Amino acid sequence: MCFKNLPIEFDSQGNATLKQGVANPYTYTETPAPTPIEDDPERMRELFARNGAIRRVDFDPVTRVAGALAFHTVVDLDSREVLETASMATLFRGYEVILQGRDPRDAINISSRACGVCGGVHATTSALACEMAFGISPPPMGVVARNLLLSTEYLYDHPIHLSLLAGPDFSEEAVRETNPEIWTRAENTRTQGREVHGYEFMSELMTDLTPLTGKLYLEGLYYTRLAREAYVLIGGKYPHPHTVVPGGVSTTIDPSDLNEIMLRVVKYFDYGRKTVAIWNDIAEFFYDVNPKYKDIGTRPKNMVEPGQWDDPFAYDASYENCDDWGRRRWATPGVLVDGELVTTSLQMVNAGVEEFVEHAFYEEWTGNGSGNEYYKFPTDPAGNPLSPYHPWNKETIPKPTATSWKEKYSWSTAPRWDRMAMETGAYSRIWTAAMTPNYRQSNYIEPTGHSLKIHLPKASLPNTEIEWKIPEVWGAFERNRARAYCILYTAAIAYDNLLLAYDLLRKGGPDAKMSTPFKVPKDHRIGVGLWSAGRGYLTHHMEIDKGVIKNYQILTPSTWMASPKDPFGNPGPYEEAVMATPLLENYEKPEDFKGIDVLRAIRSFDPCMPCTTHIHSDDRTITREIISCACGATGDHEH
Amino acid sequence: MAPVRDARGNEMRLQTVPHGGGVFGANRQPGLGGHGGSPNGPLNEVHVFWIAGMSCDGCTIAASGATNPSVEDLLLGRIPNLPKVILHHPVLSPGAGTEFIRPFKQAVNGELGAPYVVVLEGSVPDDQAFPSDIGYFSAMGAGGFDPESETDQPNRVTDWLWKLAPGAAAYVAIGTCATWGGIPAAAGNITGSMSLTDYLGQDYRSALGVPVVNVPGCAPVGDNFTETVAAVLMFLQNLAPVPKFDELGRPAWLFGETVHRHCPKAGYYEEGVFAEEFGDNECLVEIGCWGPVVQCNITERGAINHMGGCMVAGGPCIGCTMPGFPDKYSPFLKAPPGSSISGGISKVTGGGIRRLRRLSMKKGNRTGVWDNAHEVPSGWGRAHGDKGPVDKANGFFYEKLQYRGSVNHAKRNKRQPLPQSRDILRQKGVDLTASVDVLGERVKTREEL
Ligand code: SF4
Ligand code: SF4
Repeated sequence: MCFKNLPIEFDSQGNATLKQGVANPYTYTETPAPTPIEDDPERMRELFARNGAIRRVDFDPVTRVAGALAFHTVVDLDSREVLETASMATLFRGYEVILQGRDPRDAINISSRACGVCGGVHATTSALACEMAFGISPPPMGVVARNLLLSTEYLYDHPIHLSLLAGPDFSEEAVRETNPEIWTRAENTRTQGREVHGYEFMSELMTDLTPLTGKLYLEGLYYTRLAREAYVLIGGKYPHPHTVVPGGVSTTIDPSDLNEIMLRVVKYFDYGRKTVAIWNDIAEFFYDVNPKYKDIGTRPKNMVEPGQWDDPFAYDASYENCDDWGRRRWATPGVLVDGELVTTSLQMVNAGVEEFVEHAFYEEWTGNGSGNEYYKFPTDPAGNPLSPYHPWNKETIPKPTATSWKEKYSWSTAPRWDRMAMETGAYSRIWTAAMTPNYRQSNYIEPTGHSLKIHLPKASLPNTEIEWKIPEVWGAFERNRARAYCILYTAAIAYDNLLLAYDLLRKGGPDAKMSTPFKVPKDHRIGVGLWSAGRGYLTHHMEIDKGVIKNYQILTPSTWMASPKDPFGNPGPYEEAVMATPLLENYEKPEDFKGIDVLRAIRSFDPCMPCTTHIHSDDRTITREIISCACGATGDHEH
Repeated sequence: MAPVRDARGNEMRLQTVPHGGGVFGANRQPGLGGHGGSPNGPLNEVHVFWIAGMSCDGCTIAASGATNPSVEDLLLGRIPNLPKVILHHPVLSPGAGTEFIRPFKQAVNGELGAPYVVVLEGSVPDDQAFPSDIGYFSAMGAGGFDPESETDQPNRVTDWLWKLAPGAAAYVAIGTCATWGGIPAAAGNITGSMSLTDYLGQDYRSALGVPVVNVPGCAPVGDNFTETVAAVLMFLQNLAPVPKFDELGRPAWLFGETVHRHCPKAGYYEEGVFAEEFGDNECLVEIGCWGPVVQCNITERGAINHMGGCMVAGGPCIGCTMPGFPDKYSPFLKAPPGSSISGGISKVTGGGIRRLRRLSMKKGNRTGVWDNAHEVPSGWGRAHGDKGPVDKANGFFYEKLQYRGSVNHAKRNKRQPLPQSRDILRQKGVDLTASVDVLGERVKTREEL
């Protein structure tokens, strides 16, 4: 059914089983990565003879992304192609090791610190993992409070990406510097959305995207704060909330809190409409200038989405029922392969995941790809087969070494779903929702199978029905455009949940309680939290025994997307998207090249590196010895 | 791997481009900001190099949320008489790659031509202990530090940190990771992480003679950071006295008090009522609050734009500003050991106080007119106008104490005649049911909707 590459079959009832008669079903033979151009004499000679315009361009660091990302490229500035890419996560902190042996309750506040851009979602996902392991679930109000926490979090997250990180690449100065002819055209092009955003000409809009001085930049910054003001009423502080607990939240909510949140959330209806109009204009204008802009950052429509925002009356924290409560979420789980929705089952989303470390600074843990060693969890709690490379089975041994494009070059692992590279983000969320059959009842959101309609309560701007259409070509401009729609999608969900909260608060009783009491169990248990972050897929896999954490695994959106090559020879999503990017920048000689199209492609994914890199280990003791023994051992790779 | 050679045996290397990542042009002022600024101060221009070590970027995000002053206030020159501030920040800078790194290298090599401040977010890993120069836990930029370097390996953050230290006008550690070590340095870590002061050493003084300035918090309150920066700049411009720092380099005026003293729940503590479950309104000490022994100002200042704050929202304090965070405050969500003694005492004394307060509150909830009329004209509930014997007895002594040595308003009020137009609608014979009908025609019922 949903898997093409994993050795999983489905019986007539739809139950997953391991393919019979195969000795080591998860075994693979590694396809070596292509030899880096600079290590390949043949290729070098050919390229040198070609045109004199081959250059190595390393973006180190890639700025205007969160965290430490470096990106290596080799480009042909004559044919305007990218010949080689490598994506590098350049930070390692070892959070999962720090978590081992601690009280499971501490995972919430410690794992939150994996990411300071979206800490609230780590805390929440960790609470979900605790709940599954403890066998408890929050009262409805506790779930609604979480939904509010994480919808206001994303209302901060989307503007920060569009205005502060990605937006400047389309601003006056950047465009004048890299494509002056486009600027001239912008001065003479009328916008389509002027009634909504108020800009008559494209050039005016672009001027206001300028960092720091542009009105749209400053307005975006303001909206990142406004949502955080709402957030801290529930979470206490941003980015790391101190109210998320197993079994709900410790927030004390009174009507003032709800009123103050509501008065902030409703402002995003107008702001979102305006932002959608702006990013529609940007995409259409560039496509009009040159249709090749559609190919900036393009890659197959493969996406993974665990969904989020639970139904307060359906969520019971159990793995057995997660397909049901998953489908009741405001953002539904699912996997898209070539734009087709192949599953909406949360269990299948989970069971299809594997992580590989061939090109990351870690050692392989199952016996070098044989995968036939005994491993801890051959199935998940519902009986679906799991790979030895699944996060519940993963063991990671860090090994800092020299950076080599052929061998190891990143602190990010290579996660794959059904052995395919997946992207994930705000857009995978609306995309999955748009295609989901039997979407939950909502006053504001209506999936049509090919689009997502958002019926907005009227505020001061025109246009109350907004429709995001699934794009035909998938690339950087579409990622940014979809992100803008996500402001409205998120605001509508926040509003839906606010009305629910008012109702619960008024009714009082057990449903209005914020949390369910619990005791930390002393026996052996596992749990997983599946909850998508602002920028996509997030899971925390947890194993506890004797009242402490035995194993903790965090898998984040940017680990999926910043990933290095996998053992099947496939690049990670950033690498793949940049390889496909045409260099449309205007330069006369190679020396003038700046790389704007490459940067636009990378930034459209909204990389967030802090939580991309972390490790975990099982019973194996990793001590600081690794600092003095493992590194430098393979320091023989030089370019 | 041996270098690739061409037919004549010459080494073949790919050329690089000089302005990779410089999409805003080489002529643009590098970094972000540099608008406005005073031309006449002792300092006309200052560069701020923001470096992220073992960090989650939460301090960057917290600083971006600051409003008093905001980052853009500082960078746009909105505050009179401060120098021009130019920020080089990996998350915010317009330029990337070579173009972004250039000013950092200029600073290391003494070629920047302007004073600079270094801000570190995140802790410092022990990767200088690696036996060779290869491998890192945290890196930024590549290709070594001096122009002649031929390496293409990533540059360690730890190298940037010590190389920038001697020339820095000031070195600021933001957040608990950089100030004390924080979570990357917690028990069980395998990166050997430490604080900036541990790394640079006790004797470190900046070029202006200042030790490392520490603004803790995980993440810190954004305003605490921007205000400290503004205070230091005000001092450097001779506009304000030197700001006070405590023995650990914290701004003393921000971290001198315990967070408990300004906590909105402190009144519950005093009355001896405590939350039993998460979500309860009362003092949070029994569900894990360490506020009484933690130096932090979030209950006074709020988290962002004076809103929120851990206990304000119901979150117990886990001590995130303290050098002992996280290990000395965990397991979180569990009552601190000392709380059973102090909380126990407050339960005993607080219980009596609370009951007395309820009585005087009830008294304060009645006007003199209501006392005289023996009724409360509220349509909301059945509030009793008459006092019971306990109320009366209590009221007697209370009034004695309250008015002793002054005027007795209770007595004066008793002599006050009742206003004659009390209950005017009844006096005029207005039929209230009629108006309900009028309204009923104009409003849709829930069912109709
Ligand atoms: S909640 Fe914490 S800080 Fe507030 S009064 Fe109670 S113990 Fe003190
Ligand atoms: S109240 Fe406690 S947990 Fe909250 S910010 Fe202050 S020190 Fe950190």
